[in-house]
Amino acid sequence: MYYGRATDQLTQERGECGGLITATLISALEQNLVDGALIVKQGESIYDGIPFFATTKEEIAEAAGSLHCAPTLSAKAIKNYLGGARDTRIAVTCKPCDARAIIEMAKRNQINLDNVYMVGVNCGGTMPPVPAREMIRQFYEIDPDDVVKEEIAKGKLIVLTKDGQHKEVSIDSLEEEGYGRRKNCQRCEFFIPRMADIACGNWGVIGPDAGEATFVEVLTDKGQKLIDTAKAAGAITLTNAPPEGIALREKLDGIMVKMVRKSMAAQFAKFDGDNKFEKLFEQFDKCILCRNCIINCPICYCEECFTKKDFVVKKNVLPPEPMFHLTRLLHIAPSCVDCGQCEDGCPAEIPISTITHMVQTELQKTTGYVPGRSMDDPIPLAYRDDWLEV
Amino acid sequence: MSQLEVTQSTEQKWEPRILTFCCNWCSYAGADGAGTARMQYAPNARVIRVMCSGRMNPAFIIKGFLSGADIVMMLGCHFGDCHYLKGNYACNARMTLLKAYLPAIGINPERLYWAQISASEGIKFQETMNKIVKKARELGPIANELGVHAHGARQNRTVQATVEDICD
Repeated sequence: MYYGRATDQLTQERGECGGLITATLISALEQNLVDGALIVKQGESIYDGIPFFATTKEEIAEAAGSLHCAPTLSAKAIKNYLGGARDTRIAVTCKPCDARAIIEMAKRNQINLDNVYMVGVNCGGTMPPVPAREMIRQFYEIDPDDVVKEEIAKGKLIVLTKDGQHKEVSIDSLEEEGYGRRKNCQRCEFFIPRMADIACGNWGVIGPDAGEATFVEVLTDKGQKLIDTAKAAGAITLTNAPPEGIALREKLDGIMVKMVRKSMAAQFAKFDGDNKFEKLFEQFDKCILCRNCIINCPICYCEECFTKKDFVVKKNVLPPEPMFHLTRLLHIAPSCVDCGQCEDGCPAEIPISTITHMVQTELQKTTGYVPGRSMDDPIPLAYRDDWLEV
Repeated sequence: MSQLEVTQSTEQKWEPRILTFCCNWCSYAGADGAGTARMQYAPNARVIRVMCSGRMNPAFIIKGFLSGADIVMMLGCHFGDCHYLKGNYACNARMTLLKAYLPAIGINPERLYWAQISASEGIKFQETMNKIVKKARELGPIANELGVHAHGARQNRTVQATVEDICD
């Protein structure tokens, strides 16, 4: 575990916390470790993030810094637009949900993990772009376009404006009003992407380095290779992290996980109790069968979708037959990484990811399977060789 | 499965409807054995033969509930007896998952019954059948749990519209 930062002055300034990730990606590209980097760059404003495959140094440098209102998912982009990394070596910056989705897809042979270098980034949650603008206008009383930077720290959402103003509101109070982070981020227990190759972030950086350096955890051999390459090229400097920093990082993680449990219970309570089936279908009956949930889902990968068969779900009937939702739930729920893409894409605003996650917590009591944690956990229902030996 | 979907008229007393999937090599032969031995058992079951219990897609069982089955039974071979070696292991894994899935969507998991009956166990088939019919009477109609989405009720709903209707 290290504190790291870029050696280049410009990268240091442009990066969020010392520009370590930007410098690492650039040196990986220059040393021909990867063919390109899948990153998120800023679009029109800070409320707009675009997944983007950078193949030059300048393109990577342009995307330095972090965005909190960019609920994107890079896992499906790797499969759809980069050929599942079969013949391209890529480095990808990922939030914990990205990393988990990539691992789940790799288990299903949709992504070749050997060619993917996952640079994990700490994530306290993302915000939906349009409600975030509204929120800033309403609670912070400033023009959303004046905001240059936001940061989630100590349970508060802190906003920095162009003229140096500093405003903070507690996340709890925002979320009670229905703003703040996305619903699935409020339920997410993964803040540090320990399933990626390296996990970076500002948690645990203390002393004079606070805000200036990045905390780096090297988790796999691939991650070590990535860091070694950058260090050998002289792009980054590393110092060992002090034990107090490591302890603080663990403590922060613990506090956030406790907060999650509360909001999880509150969200699931809506569907608990008697008549559960009817409560679920009150929501599902809003469906217009656009299949956005299936298109966006990183776990959905079948070439021929079961729910497209006429004997399962009759075509052109609205609301769709319950089989559509029940089959989809059964296919997805055991491995759902709770990335929230289904809910973001739903035009009928059905709380799909909430329901899927709720079903998953029920299934976990039996399967004990935590999706996307590690490549070593077999998927429930996967064929096992030891069946005959029992 | 369409036999299930025949709606019972309201004047008739409710009778449990049981959907039974039998594996071709063990349970179906077991049921046949019970028949040739002229054993008496409740007539509520509709038996569907599948070539192997490993052929079962969990969606078939959910479809069974939505088509009006009060209990869905899955009968397969004992472990180690499978004609295709591992089919019943796969089935067992799926049924275990389904048992956890059903309460999550608000269906009583006792409505799914998974048992292993071999070709020579006609008596076990008869006993299981009688036991399950008794249980179905205790649990009551599936319509209580599915509400407006139960078979029959759904057909009468007025909110149904086709995409063509909307486009016109």
